[in-house]
Amino acid sequence: MNHPLGTNISGEDDTEQHRSLTSSQMAWFRFRSNPSSIIGAFIVLSVIFVAIFAPLIAPSPQSAGSFVDFMNRHSPPSRDFLFGTDNVGRDIFTRVIFGYRVSLGLVVGVLGFAVPFGVFLGLLAGYFGNWTEFVIMRFTDIMLAIPPLAMALAITAVLSPNLINAMIAITMLWWTWHTRLIYRIVKAQMNEDYVEAARVAGASHFHIMFRELLPNCISAISVKISLDAGFVILFGAALSFLGLGVQPPTPDLGTMVSTGSEYLPEYWWEALMPGLAILYAILGFNLLGDGLRDMMDVEV
Amino acid sequence: MEDNILDVRNLNISFSNYGKTSKVLRDVSINVSRGERVSLIGQSGSGKTVTMRAIIGTLPTPPAIIESGEILYENQNLLALNRIERNKIKGSGISIILQDPLLSFNPVLTILRQMEDIIKYSDIRIGISRGHEGRKKLITETLRKVQLSDYERILNSYPIMLSGGMRQRVLIGMALLNNPKLLIADEPGTALDVTTQKEILDLLNSLVKDEGLSLLFITHNLGVVREMADRIYVMQNGKIVETNSRENIFKKPKHQYTIKLMESVPPLFGDKVIDVKNTNSEVDEIISVANLNKSFPIRTGFFNRITSQNHAVKSVNLTINSGDIYGIAGESGSGKTTIAKILLGLYGATSGTIKINNLNLAEQAELKSYRKLIQIVYQNPGSSLNRKRTVSQILSVPLKFSGYSNTMIKDRVNELLQMVGLPTSYSSMYPHELSGGQKQRVAIARALSLEPKIIVLDEPTSALDVLIQGTVINLLHRLKKQLGLTYIFISHDLSLMRNFCNKIAIMFKGEICEAGNTKDIFSNPQHLYTKALISSIPVISDKEESLKPKVTYEERSAVLQNTRKI
Repeated sequence: MNHPLGTNISGEDDTEQHRSLTSSQMAWFRFRSNPSSIIGAFIVLSVIFVAIFAPLIAPSPQSAGSFVDFMNRHSPPSRDFLFGTDNVGRDIFTRVIFGYRVSLGLVVGVLGFAVPFGVFLGLLAGYFGNWTEFVIMRFTDIMLAIPPLAMALAITAVLSPNLINAMIAITMLWWTWHTRLIYRIVKAQMNEDYVEAARVAGASHFHIMFRELLPNCISAISVKISLDAGFVILFGAALSFLGLGVQPPTPDLGTMVSTGSEYLPEYWWEALMPGLAILYAILGFNLLGDGLRDMMDVEV
Repeated sequence: MEDNILDVRNLNISFSNYGKTSKVLRDVSINVSRGERVSLIGQSGSGKTVTMRAIIGTLPTPPAIIESGEILYENQNLLALNRIERNKIKGSGISIILQDPLLSFNPVLTILRQMEDIIKYSDIRIGISRGHEGRKKLITETLRKVQLSDYERILNSYPIMLSGGMRQRVLIGMALLNNPKLLIADEPGTALDVTTQKEILDLLNSLVKDEGLSLLFITHNLGVVREMADRIYVMQNGKIVETNSRENIFKKPKHQYTIKLMESVPPLFGDKVIDVKNTNSEVDEIISVANLNKSFPIRTGFFNRITSQNHAVKSVNLTINSGDIYGIAGESGSGKTTIAKILLGLYGATSGTIKINNLNLAEQAELKSYRKLIQIVYQNPGSSLNRKRTVSQILSVPLKFSGYSNTMIKDRVNELLQMVGLPTSYSSMYPHELSGGQKQRVAIARALSLEPKIIVLDEPTSALDVLIQGTVINLLHRLKKQLGLTYIFISHDLSLMRNFCNKIAIMFKGEICEAGNTKDIFSNPQHLYTKALISSIPVISDKEESLKPKVTYEERSAVLQNTRKI
């Protein structure tokens, strides 16, 4: 028996399925219609590819270590040495490829710790508010106020300058950005009725934070990660350039620029080529991040 | 007809989005004569706003493509004009009043600055110049036209400082600044309370009459149309399906869609009104609220000290029997949602006793079993359903936390979907893949999942189109009968409540000013506010209009005065 209010319109098809593109189709369309994001994705994939298959691709794998070839020192870029050779005759192209391994390792190491930690604190602060929020966010502010290079200097001075310690130094500063980002998103999401609806349904704090709120942060996190990757590479290179990061003979882009710069301007390729390699990777991550941001329609 | 101020001829517009082109307007023809009030009515997505934006020239191209047709304003084809010529018509020829008075203002500029800017730029377009004093004179004259006094204070205010009604008036004033000939109004007052909306509509009507304006009024509300139009166009899926004079449309609608629209408007008076009765054989008290008070502290200053209290609910007494559909009516800020949240145990009461199922609320609010007693359906399913979770994930939350096993959850989800009339295949869909009505059905299913006895319905249909509203109401009735539920229905839509609730309480500024059987309250309202409220509801027939309680202008302003900001 239908209620009289509804009888005359019960034919209205609100139970029929809505025909529209799914959100992933729309997102893919937005991504595809932005040429720079495609270029970014291509660059990032190429960097990851050469880093993984470095020993197979590199023309002279022995150049990655402490190899010396005085016959060919300071050779300009040629068919044999695509990017030229350095002061001890090692192939710069090979060293760049292996340098990407170090850079990507740094990215994975730093973001692998900083992102989960930052996201977790941001969720806590945004969800519980009050004192939790005060303590976490003020601590975050304090960490943000420390100049990154000073922090890295302090840490590598206490410990020794190497890849792992550089990674620790960067990680200790990096999580703050994720905490702030997630905190802001969660604060906005707390106004949505679904959070209260979950409470009324009897859901636990854990459920609301990780099953209801976190999925709404994922797109922002992924955009942030891809933008971050570029900056972590840059920061790592800067540390190595200052001698605080990766130590020779491990091929690192920042160290290569640093040593190469001693031979400027005659042997320009020794600093320029690794520099261009840094530029290439960062450009790729940034273009990809911008594309993802448009695609997922989030602000970071 | 030569006297048409606006003549839209065979307008075809399509939108190209995500590589697909879809037609949104098909052969739309609309004309407005001088001094005529024309209404364009249709559901959301029918193309009324696209038509409006095509006329004023703010349609974004792309994605919009104007395929064919002409828009003649005083026999000049607007679509053929270049940008500069077209801009000259804006404001001085055609002016527009937008729906949301708050979103239409720039929040960081004063009203004076915003109104002056409008004059400044139109002066540049037309090529005259006048100084600050001249502009201010024009502004105060215009504010007088929209029945605002106290110019200085209003002009120096920021939009947020004015009440909704005032903002809407200023917005109308802005549209009138350059003496337009044609006024286009896109659902003005829809975002406002019904009593304020009534004032705005009256104002528009008197302006059209006094200033000799033509009006193109865009709305989805048939009751409003009856007061605002000489002629009506009914729009469905981008097509004009029926056009006629107001009398003819309301007396003998021809098109199936118009008839459906008419029938879906809940009647306020007359034979078609449904008197709902509590059909339970045994009626026992399920909720009793005595002397409930709730105040929220207002914190200000550097140290966040409590400086004053906002009394949201004042000495409220309520008795709800099992099987009731108890309506709590009131305008925004009257405290109706606060009561609901207190009943759900989300806020604690400041003072007073609440007994639910003969147990004190305070004793059981934290218990898991309390969730099986009372649940809620929110106003906007777009916000109450997490868009990153599928229907089955959404429905399983309450089940999971009351100890259902995974296989039981799956069966129960399917059962719930069937109960609310959705196919079980929907369980893997995300909310955005569903229509508004379907989403609300999912929200209802979630509320039902723990088999509660009481469901709070917080304006469950106000985000839906009137045609969909009927199906949801229908579903709620069926579920009530099947499951023996008690509803608390919170709404500002009194005509819907008249037909849905057996009891009703009218809230005004945190107090219940009148409560009782719905039938009695509507046929013989006692409190002046109730009378003002009922008389403000737009109805769709003269007969209903004549049955409304009579409230004089003075009485109305006396009772409503205190609710207006500043």
